[in-house]
Amino acid sequence: MKNVLGREIPERLGERKLRVFEGAFATTPAGRKADRPQKVIKPGENKVLSSIEQAIEKTGLSDGMTISFHHSFRQGDRLVNQVMDACARMGMRDLRIFPTALFPVHEPLIKHIENGVITRIEGSMNGPVGAFISQGGKLRAPAVLRSHGGRWRAVEAGDVRIDVAFIGASQADPYGNANGIHGKTPCGPISFSAVDAMYAERTVVVTNDLAPYPVYPFEIQQGWTDYVVVVDEIGDPDSIASGTLKITRSPTRLRIARLAADAVVASGYLKDGFNFQGGAGGISLAATKFVGEEMAKDGVVAGFAMGGGTKLIVDMLHQGTIRTILDGQAFDLAAVASLREDANHVLMDPGQYANYDSRGCSTYMLDAAFLGATEVDFDFNVNVNTHSDGLLLHGIGGHQDVASGSKMTVITIPTLRGRLPVIVDRVTTVTTPGEVVDVIVTERGLAVNPKRKDLAERFQRAGLPVRTLEEIKQEADGFTQPPRKPMFGDEVIALVEWRDGTIIDTVRRVVGWE
Amino acid sequence: MSEAQVVGSDAKSDCQVTVTTAPSLEIQIKASNQQLLEPGIRAVVEKTASALGVSKAKVAITDRGALDYVISGRVEAALRLTFPELTSATSQSIPREASERHRIRRSRLYAPGNNPRLLIGLELHGADCVVVDLEDSVPLSEKRATRILVKYILTAVKFPEVWVRINALDTYGRDDLAEILRGRPHGICLPKAESSADVISLSKEIEELESSYGISSGTTYIMPIIETARGVLHSEEIASADQRVVIIAFGAEDFTRDMGARRTEKSLLFARSMIVTAAKAVGIQVSDTVYSNLDDEKGLIAEAKQARNLGFDGKGVINPRQIEPIHAVFSPTEQETEEARQIVAAAEEAEEHGLGAIAIEGKMIDKPVLARAQQTLELAALVNKGGW
Repeated sequence: MKNVLGREIPERLGERKLRVFEGAFATTPAGRKADRPQKVIKPGENKVLSSIEQAIEKTGLSDGMTISFHHSFRQGDRLVNQVMDACARMGMRDLRIFPTALFPVHEPLIKHIENGVITRIEGSMNGPVGAFISQGGKLRAPAVLRSHGGRWRAVEAGDVRIDVAFIGASQADPYGNANGIHGKTPCGPISFSAVDAMYAERTVVVTNDLAPYPVYPFEIQQGWTDYVVVVDEIGDPDSIASGTLKITRSPTRLRIARLAADAVVASGYLKDGFNFQGGAGGISLAATKFVGEEMAKDGVVAGFAMGGGTKLIVDMLHQGTIRTILDGQAFDLAAVASLREDANHVLMDPGQYANYDSRGCSTYMLDAAFLGATEVDFDFNVNVNTHSDGLLLHGIGGHQDVASGSKMTVITIPTLRGRLPVIVDRVTTVTTPGEVVDVIVTERGLAVNPKRKDLAERFQRAGLPVRTLEEIKQEADGFTQPPRKPMFGDEVIALVEWRDGTIIDTVRRVVGWE
Repeated sequence: MSEAQVVGSDAKSDCQVTVTTAPSLEIQIKASNQQLLEPGIRAVVEKTASALGVSKAKVAITDRGALDYVISGRVEAALRLTFPELTSATSQSIPREASERHRIRRSRLYAPGNNPRLLIGLELHGADCVVVDLEDSVPLSEKRATRILVKYILTAVKFPEVWVRINALDTYGRDDLAEILRGRPHGICLPKAESSADVISLSKEIEELESSYGISSGTTYIMPIIETARGVLHSEEIASADQRVVIIAFGAEDFTRDMGARRTEKSLLFARSMIVTAAKAVGIQVSDTVYSNLDDEKGLIAEAKQARNLGFDGKGVINPRQIEPIHAVFSPTEQETEEARQIVAAAEEAEEHGLGAIAIEGKMIDKPVLARAQQTLELAALVNKGGW
């Protein structure tokens, strides 16, 4: 069957009957939320265990079950590999893992896939695991990619039943209160896992820093936590956060950032109480810096900024250019420190900021957002999951959630990456549909979604180079011979969910080249 | 059999090409997205080899995301180094309109001709003119390959105005010219210009090449760069040496070295004054030296203001991010624009009434003042477009 974007979607996948994407806000949920078994911990009972193996035994984890993780330790994560190695040692098979995201550090999972310890993955796969899966590494079922909000919804809705949630925490107390901003190796917010903790059959907090009760803020609460495991190492502090993120120095990328910032200025949204999403990519960071300078110049104070904590927006907070930071993940140590010290730098979980099946999302309060893309097409559809070679490489992150909510969604892209055109006739994979994308900014000018004539007029009045995507593409493509395109077979290797749980696209196995 | 010739680099946006003799044309390609890119790269290599008439060579190319013109430039250079009897593959110059003599030139943006990463998108940054360099930024060992690469860039990219800084005529300059004029640049920058004779011999050389490449005679401009003690003293004869000279530029780095001086505002004052006065006496434009400390925007603006106050029309730029502040300094203030508007309005009124003399509030306005006012309005119009 075809969805509203003309993408072919299978009717079922294993036991799961698939729903097709109908539009960004087309569906209305009618059911009730999922549940978890009731349980009582009575005064004096002990939750602290001494090893991951013990936790695996106590929770009853066994073949065919689902384990979840968060990615807040990013490239410095020491938990996922420890848990999966323990499962393998204990002879477990056919596990489904449900991480918020995987990183290159998780390459050792490939051997567990090859040995049948892991047979299913639902979650973003950055790096070697993603490349392995799309190049033929067999899973028993296709991977499922979800946005931050989409993952939260899937757990709440019971689409994904977690048997055991392993939650890495840089500090926890013996009763299972935990967070990621204190302790020996802080990683920033860990509330991505809050939904896992609330809905998993069993919830295990793993920490390298067990502190006296109470440990707060309560990102993970004692009432959700079954066990607390103390380990030597939870994360490598040198790889958790990237020191200070670097603003791009590439003249082309700076030009894109400058034009994106000028578009925000010309849009009419930039006034007191302006809410925006920055982001951590080189171009987004530079655009955020330029917008900040415009705000400081005109004395405009933003309401809130989101999109991950960075030193750049922390500085803006402390200079008074931003009133509040809503923070779901910290990209550098300055952001983690600020979360500890500044009451206006606020922890936020994906349920609060992005969950479709909810009574409101913070992203819906955004005026403008800067987002990236690996490809865009003439319908303003955006791909962030696959490369032009068809390989599955990146997660969705908050892309869909932010684009849906923001009054003006700005995609910043160079027209060429090396020899590869970024503007294509039809994106390899649709991550985010054109209906929620307003402006695409390139170094050769910016294109405005035809349904935003108001913005196009404002940009033209401000003297910005408004062009069509077709014009921009034609100019850029003159510099390279067109690349070959991958040919896809029938085998679905991943489903791309829209944030409401419908299927917006599939990723199929590459079988050859046109 | 000759030694293998290697051209290019493994830097991003570049490619490395190795050519050896072989019984037939054999092409070997390595690229990061091999499956996607191999056929396209092959087509470019084949086209370049065939334009040169090469059919017996092995061309091995390792691509790091080079655009077609970079691949062509690298391949042609490697082939011509291997087979010295080959001549340029570009037989005709490309169609490019000549530039206007009095075009606004607030910024001249330099880029090294041998660095594809810095050359990509050079036309997009809003510089009034772009200067692709074959001289100081290019090591001796890369001179031959670089001029071929630059020829291809000129052929492929539409620039608002593009110049090439060649080497001195008595070193590599003649070969530079013969190659890059096929790409039909708007003008040639002559480094270390010291006398009218330097300019005249360059002009003659250009004249001959214009005629053999089918370029209208006299449409390739010259920008002498004055950067020696001798050059400064001969500023006026350099500025007036030839019709092709539409602008002269000052190069402070070489000048201070030649003088044994330290670079301060005062130590440059005489040279700057001399050069700016010579240009204005002859009625051409004049552009100040580059400011090399990229991270010091305040210093850049201060130095640009000194030059603006002396009468310079613009300044050299070594990174796109210097363009905006420099354009701000060399653009008219609101008051200057208003005065210019009054002068031009008065002139129009005078002409309507058939009056020979123009006056504002009893003060006579002469021709150079009117010309200046017109240019101020032109500049103001550019600024109103927001620089995009």
